[in-house]
Amino acid sequence: MLKIWSMKQQQQQEQKEAAANGDGVVKKKVTAAQIRVQKDLTELSLPSTIKTQFPNPDDLLNFLVSIEPDEGMYQGGRFNFTFKINNNFPHEPPKVKCTQKIYHPNIDLEGNVCLNILREDWKPVLNLNAVLVGLQYLFLEPNASDPLNKDAALDLQRNRDGFKRNVRSSMAGGAVAGERFDNVLR
Amino acid sequence: MKVTIDKWIGVSTWHWNHAQDEVCGICRVAFDGTCPTCKYPGDDCPLIIGECKHAFHMHCLLKWLTTESSKGLCPMCRRRFKTATE
Repeated sequence: MLKIWSMKQQQQQEQKEAAANGDGVVKKKVTAAQIRVQKDLTELSLPSTIKTQFPNPDDLLNFLVSIEPDEGMYQGGRFNFTFKINNNFPHEPPKVKCTQKIYHPNIDLEGNVCLNILREDWKPVLNLNAVLVGLQYLFLEPNASDPLNKDAALDLQRNRDGFKRNVRSSMAGGAVAGERFDNVLR
Repeated sequence: MKVTIDKWIGVSTWHWNHAQDEVCGICRVAFDGTCPTCKYPGDDCPLIIGECKHAFHMHCLLKWLTTESSKGLCPMCRRRFKTATE
């Protein structure tokens, strides 16, 4: 451990000296998170149902994801998410939010997502591919035992067919139990 | 024929004696490379191997273990991480 600190100090010293010498060009440091994200992105192998989009190509840490399930009760919808990765990645998971208001047991009305690998089961050996595939899985198999939207979870648990109907109508922009949802049909 | 050697230059390579995986699962850089904070591979940026046989750059693993969410577990198998003692 001692060695790490002394190396860090040395590095800072070098940086200071470079600044003092007026080398001018302050090198923009590429962070560990950026390097790791870059690697994860080049290794992505996604099904055609998952698409990523980079509004700012220089910023790999913030991007958009859309998922278009081709089976299951959410088939025919397009679900959009924002991914925000902070500089502690991969020690902290990406922050994922759904930008639409949807009827789903594991996604609340604010768009917060309950997926184990984005929360308590995150570990740095997981990559973005695993997160994206896991996210898609929520639409194939909504999980009533670990809900964020308790009403939807109860609905799914009590009456699967009724829940399916509610999902369909919510996806078309309809209301479920007095709550109106966004139209997510493509 | 008599040969006289004026001079010779020795060249050598090295790699960690651990080939289980070729890259560190945390930073995804080769074991023979460095963790993202180091400049020089080798003794300056050593590997650490757990009782579970999973290996990482030591610095990567120590950083993970300082996070609260790690709960002291190996990032590969989620068993308690204990450094292997040979």
